[in-house]
Amino acid sequence: MNVVIRRRETSLGWGALVVYLGALALALGICAVLLMLSGKPGLGGLAILFRGAFGQGYSLLDGLVKAIPIFLCSLGVALSFRMQIWNIGAEGQFALGAVGATFVALALPGQPWPVLLPLMFLAAMLAGGLWGLIPAGLRLWLGVNEIISSLMLNYVGILFLEFLVFGVWKDPGSFGFPMTAEFSPGGQIGRMGPALGLNLGKLHWGLLACPLAGVAYGVFLSRTRLGFELAACGEGERVARYANLPYGFLVLLVMGLGGALAGLAGSIECSATLGRLQPTVMVGYGYTAIVVAWLARLKPWPIAFTSFLLASLRVGVEVLELRLQIPAAFGQIMEGAILLCVLAGQFFLDYSVSVRFARLRRADSAAPGLEERA
Amino acid sequence: MKHWMRTLGALALTLGFVLAGCQKGPDKAAENATTAGELKVGFVYTSPVGEAGYSWAQDQGRKAIEKLGVKTEFVESVKEGADAERVIENMARSGDQIIFATSFGFMDPTMKVAKDYPNVKFMHCSGFKSAENVDNYFGRIYQARYLTGMVAGLMTKTNILGYVAAFPIPEVIRGINAFTLGARSVNPKAQVRVVWTKTWFDPALEKDAAISLLDVNADVIAQHQDSAGPQEAAAQRGKYCIGYNSDMSKFAPKAHLTAAVWNWAPLYESIVKEVREGAWKGGRSIWWGMDKGVVDIAPYGPMVPKDVQDKVNAQKALFKKGEDKVFVGPIKDQAGQIKFAAGVKAEDKDLLGMTWFVDGVVGSVQ
Amino acid sequence: MSPELIVALLAAAVQAAAPILFATLGEILSEKAGVLNLGVEGVMAIAAFAAFITCHVTGSATLGLLAGGLAGALLCGLHSLVCQVFLGNQVVSGLALTIFGVGLSNYLGTPYVGIGTEGFRQFAVPLLGQIPVLGAVFFRQDAMVYLGYFAPVAVWFLLSRTSLGLGLRATGEMPAAAAAAGLNPQRLRAFGVMAGGFLCGLGGAYLSLAHTHLWTTGLSGGRGWVAVALVIFAFWRPGRAVLGALLFGGVMAFQLRLQAAGTNVPSSLLLMLPYALTVLALVFSATRARSSARKAAAAPAALGVNIEPEG
Repeated sequence: MNVVIRRRETSLGWGALVVYLGALALALGICAVLLMLSGKPGLGGLAILFRGAFGQGYSLLDGLVKAIPIFLCSLGVALSFRMQIWNIGAEGQFALGAVGATFVALALPGQPWPVLLPLMFLAAMLAGGLWGLIPAGLRLWLGVNEIISSLMLNYVGILFLEFLVFGVWKDPGSFGFPMTAEFSPGGQIGRMGPALGLNLGKLHWGLLACPLAGVAYGVFLSRTRLGFELAACGEGERVARYANLPYGFLVLLVMGLGGALAGLAGSIECSATLGRLQPTVMVGYGYTAIVVAWLARLKPWPIAFTSFLLASLRVGVEVLELRLQIPAAFGQIMEGAILLCVLAGQFFLDYSVSVRFARLRRADSAAPGLEERA
Repeated sequence: MKHWMRTLGALALTLGFVLAGCQKGPDKAAENATTAGELKVGFVYTSPVGEAGYSWAQDQGRKAIEKLGVKTEFVESVKEGADAERVIENMARSGDQIIFATSFGFMDPTMKVAKDYPNVKFMHCSGFKSAENVDNYFGRIYQARYLTGMVAGLMTKTNILGYVAAFPIPEVIRGINAFTLGARSVNPKAQVRVVWTKTWFDPALEKDAAISLLDVNADVIAQHQDSAGPQEAAAQRGKYCIGYNSDMSKFAPKAHLTAAVWNWAPLYESIVKEVREGAWKGGRSIWWGMDKGVVDIAPYGPMVPKDVQDKVNAQKALFKKGEDKVFVGPIKDQAGQIKFAAGVKAEDKDLLGMTWFVDGVVGSVQ
Repeated sequence: MSPELIVALLAAAVQAAAPILFATLGEILSEKAGVLNLGVEGVMAIAAFAAFITCHVTGSATLGLLAGGLAGALLCGLHSLVCQVFLGNQVVSGLALTIFGVGLSNYLGTPYVGIGTEGFRQFAVPLLGQIPVLGAVFFRQDAMVYLGYFAPVAVWFLLSRTSLGLGLRATGEMPAAAAAAGLNPQRLRAFGVMAGGFLCGLGGAYLSLAHTHLWTTGLSGGRGWVAVALVIFAFWRPGRAVLGALLFGGVMAFQLRLQAAGTNVPSSLLLMLPYALTVLALVFSATRARSSARKAAAAPAALGVNIEPEG
């Protein structure tokens, strides 16, 4: 028996759906077995998971709400990954964005939303962008690797947020608990449902930032000169400099924009779901975003879908934990298993595998030009 | 071109799902409502239940009310932001009649969900907000802290007590202050050194923090976090330690003097009883102390001499009678300024928002 | 600070550095072979449990140590499978491994929380332990710390003095050239990842066998991430890894003692110190040694790039 692997020359088209469904089925099968091993109904558990994630209008909406910050952060990091800049600092940039927005919200209380919200977003994108520029600058001018500096700046950024909330920004009315005062109504992003006369649950207007950012991302990459140059820089710094591309400028640009997007996500999360700044705003979306960006292969539409699916998975797992009374650690195991299966499954998008038996193979090997891997 | 069609197709499908779901949305609340008479109660924990710690102590309370024939469910490790709101709402939707949100960070999410589910009764732990259908509740654990402080003050030889502290919030600060006041009530020379870890559960770091305190000659270590790291550090150095949340003696049998422990059962049983009898009311701040049995200290370790036990038990008896003189002046802060004049008793709102250290604590309050 | 306090601080720094050092060395091996493994945090968590449970059942700390290493190698084998056979993205696979590993460790470990193990106790090395100051800092530690003194030398020797190490480095720089030279890059990478996993596993085992003697979940507590960062800090060199681990562990121990001594600096700022200083130290060494060192400080050229099957 011999296994022959070939790179596909044409895209799989709808076959991709089959591949993804197959990988998902395998992953869910593993989860079902794990559930049964711990004495819970396997298939029943999967049904609860599915219903919890997609079964009701509100569960879909919950997934959508949770996907917003993941999507924005993911777009941001994807931008820098496209040119081989390893920005893993979205978490810290998210924190700084929340800090920037809060600064404006606290400084200008009582302003109407058309004034306050844009200023908050601006401040958030500025703060997040600047935080992203630090690793970019360190890399360009001092040769400091951006992985380490962006990772360390995550910790520093979060602790800076805590320093403010535990210290100078603490709301005098909060009995000493670490939270700022509630933003004035103009500083809080409202929910979409009431304005549209629909029952849209916790869905808020921050959602609008997603198509805006997504379209801008797509246009930037495929319609602008800088976008093309950025793609060319993906071949590496030496190639870029040889081709006389503005490599340094592009590094600053992608890190600044990526930071701005993560900062925007931070301000939306802060303003729409908490209505104030609290350390609990940090739940690790900046790291989730990295997984999403790569699973989606850095393309905007797949990033949107993957953000939504991963967010929904987490919503579904919560319901599963509640209904079957399984520990939270079990949800983590499931998420890890699903990610690994889907990732491995993506292999079949790019490669075809055929199995041949020894006798047939002997005939084949006579034919020249057949590449294979045993 | 094909690529675009595929994308659009998938988008249309998703939209269809969402819209179909939205129409069904409103009437789903009643779907899982339980049959009349059977009470269903939900618990939201911020950390894993595990085998010790804050959520474990809460879970003992949950198990206690299960014995009353109540159906319970819980979700652990719930993040205290947007996720909490979703979990609490899921519980309300599925027909839980009482929901205990057991951590401070659940306050705003609880208030938001409570507004949408007026028929569900919400109990929020350790916060300060309430509403028509929301009570907040907590226990006067500082009374137990005061007693453990007395034990520490009587047992120390170096007069330096170490305190491995979690986050600089009033709940933790109040505990440190009560511990210090307790220690100095029996040993005016005692001082309390504080190290913040900014963690609720990082066993290795919390152990290291305790060791740093032992290195500056502290010989009794108290703690606020969920892990037993500090207990182990003290045991290893042959020094004493004081646990929190539950009896931690199994982690350090030779070092564990006692512990400030939670016992939520009486409070939770009483709430269930109230709901069953229709006597439950919203808008309350329920703050029970040792007199109602919500807080206590763990049994003394074998190394605690009889006379120490007697002294502490005498004070404990006062608490049991409802006589609470922990925060009664004169109380000075770290800078020596009088915060409560002689004979003045701190009000609950002062305790709730306590952000300063009493005289005798060494370290930053942030 | 009194002299005794400084000695205590340094001894604590060595102890805090040990688990990070093992993990950093492991990640260096993996990355030198061209595979980025962001799963260190999960690997350490799993290994800590495997080491504990083995020690608990067999009563042997040495067997526990081995089990921790093997568990680490096994989990990294999964990473190797996903990245090398299925050509999965190394970043995603590593992050998924972290989620999976931490979850599994918590799930399996919860029923055993609070059970003590003998593990490795501190003991003084004869003669060396009597040296003033140095003895107290370096030679009154536990057996795993002593093992940690040899580990960087061994990794250095493997990488720069053996043909296996040469092959590993070639695979990390240019797999195609390595293959042309008659090496098997896939096999070398798998070796690098799993041997690295073994070392990361030792780091995890340190936490449950030597650092604490009570089993509890959540032991890794972010140390795996620090190790990933320190690999870069170390310029992929074992010697600098020692420096990085000591610096990080030392600053962490220092800020705790600063608090214990009664400082008034807010704790948020003090806790920033280890992370901020790591970046600052890197900036400092980057400005000190300009272009010549920069070349030496570069990542393996094929790091993170999977080997395509021919065709």
